Amino acid sequence: MEMFNYYFKLSIRNLIRNRLFFILMISTLAVGVGVFLANIAIIKSMSSDPIPYKSKNIFNVSLNIWPNDTPDAELIEIMRYDDAMHLLKNNIATHTMVHYQSQVYTRDIDSTNLTRHQAVVRATTPGFFPLTDAPFAFGGSWQQDRAKQIVIGDTLNQQIFGGGNSVGKTLEIDGKPFEIVGVLKPWELKPLFYHAEDGQKFTTTDDIYAPIETAMDNEWVVNVRSSATERSDSVSDNRGKNVFFIQTFVQLDNQQQKNAMQQYIDNYSQHRQQQGEYLRANDNRLLDVNQWLKHKEVVDERMLAFALATSLFLAVCIFNASSLLLARYHSARFETGLRRAVGARMKDVFYQGLVESVLVGVCCAILALLFGWIFLQISITLFPALEHTSDIDAPLIIIGIGIALVTSFISMLYPLIRSCRTPLSTTLK
Amino acid sequence: MLNMNNISRIYRSDTIQTHALRDFNLQVNAGEFVAVTGPSGSGKSTFLNVAGLLDSFDEGSYELDGVNIQGLGDDELSRLRNEKIGFIFQNYNLIPDFTLFDNIDMPLRYRSFNAAERKRRISNALEQVGLASRSNYLPSQLSGGQQQRVAIARALAGEPKILLADEPTGNLDSLMARQVMELLHTLNEAGSTIIMVTHDPDQARAIGRNVQVIDGQITDHSVYAPVNNNAPIEVKA
Repeated sequence: MEMFNYYFKLSIRNLIRNRLFFILMISTLAVGVGVFLANIAIIKSMSSDPIPYKSKNIFNVSLNIWPNDTPDAELIEIMRYDDAMHLLKNNIATHTMVHYQSQVYTRDIDSTNLTRHQAVVRATTPGFFPLTDAPFAFGGSWQQDRAKQIVIGDTLNQQIFGGGNSVGKTLEIDGKPFEIVGVLKPWELKPLFYHAEDGQKFTTTDDIYAPIETAMDNEWVVNVRSSATERSDSVSDNRGKNVFFIQTFVQLDNQQQKNAMQQYIDNYSQHRQQQGEYLRANDNRLLDVNQWLKHKEVVDERMLAFALATSLFLAVCIFNASSLLLARYHSARFETGLRRAVGARMKDVFYQGLVESVLVGVCCAILALLFGWIFLQISITLFPALEHTSDIDAPLIIIGIGIALVTSFISMLYPLIRSCRTPLSTTLK
Repeated sequence: MLNMNNISRIYRSDTIQTHALRDFNLQVNAGEFVAVTGPSGSGKSTFLNVAGLLDSFDEGSYELDGVNIQGLGDDELSRLRNEKIGFIFQNYNLIPDFTLFDNIDMPLRYRSFNAAERKRRISNALEQVGLASRSNYLPSQLSGGQQQRVAIARALAGEPKILLADEPTGNLDSLMARQVMELLHTLNEAGSTIIMVTHDPDQARAIGRNVQVIDGQITDHSVYAPVNNNAPIEVKA
């Protein structure tokens, strides 16, 4: 410990004595680490498991329900109203939810303020809440399929009611009253696995959760990618028609459930085929959350390419810092040689270099975290979809400090080796 | 104390081999003061570097204070340099932004001395060279002669078996050179073994034993009578 303190004091002295040099070197490394860190933060949030403790138990249901035979067509993850309702009726899954996204304008019906707030609606079924583990602050889900009842998210509750228990209050949507039966706590899913498309995969959770039947009865617009092979005049008219707009997720807690569900959807598909509806080859799939997110290419390939570029940039920064250090060790070889001459072992010189690299690494880490945060904000400005999702959290701070320390050490390694291998007799002349 | 037998040191480049030392034989006993003289490029500094374990040798054998040097690793060589050898360089080799205390403290740091023991040794060493009151000075605040005395104090603080001095007065004017030489003689009289490379024939003659090196070999080996008597009393080939 005494030698550590000694080397630490020497390192402080070196940093002060060569401050301009070290500012340049630390900045060089910090820029590289910062850019790398910002990129990791983005990729980490993109590729994170939104619901890790049960992601293997939640499955998206994809049916080969397209009415025409197009064998090369991609998997269809949206289904018709009738298919979704059929899936809801089985008792295989622990929880089942079907949904589509809509958008409405709403206000507190009792307020004198007539300003309406734009709100994203998840038209769904009560199974949504236990399946996603949406956390209720007050109240709970609706119980009736066509109830004029809704659950609201924390953000809307804050916007309209200023927070608090709003259960029992009424929102006006398109001129009609809807009773609030539940209020959620602040809640985020990164990515929003149940809606990992339409540029929504990194948005916040929804403002309003309403019964799907109620949403369709009230003609709440379908605000998702949809397809149709026949004309439908309204949302409520979608029932019984070849209009594809609903997604289905099920929670299957064991292999037996999964096998049973696969058998069920295959049987259903065959049954429909026999009726001349489903002409494509059987390709019904159950994809768990992570398989589903991978299938939806949540991690943008451009980001992976950018990650490679930032890795190379970091390598260039290390190389530059190492070149700078080589020059410094060259100029400091007299002191190193003198220390060796009076009894320092090579390992002592290495130990001293290691302590200096730790000090440089800590300075670099602080600056790198600052740069990383700045680069992340710039990235969010350039890619608004990343807002609310990417941040430099505690694990990333630890990773950042680790990378800064390692890069600092790597930068010092070659100059240290060169320094130790210089013949003593020449350095002291 | 120092026993070199048939030491050879060859520097090789792509096309040239230079024998800096060849069949170099020298024995130095404890308490001796030996002057090594010779023209530039004769091998004096190479001898001192090999003797001080700053450079390796290609052939021969070398024992320092009973320890056979051949085959020792970096840890052992470093320990020997630290514990048994004190270096005095022509250009002092003090670290300019270290105080005298910190400069002398440097070799002691690589031994397991506690702070009190290091302080005691530094105080004693500075006392010996007459600079006890200036331990917090920087080298730049001292004259050349005083800086060389600090270098000597650094060499003495480790209580080495042998002092190796490479033209210690080469950068000093005659007055300061005389003061430094008087200090070295005093140390020798107190029991220190000293080997000093010098260009100055007067200084060499004032030292008990002279070794002349030419082309990497000892060509003249003289032992003189007491310090102030310049007449040779014995000559070996």
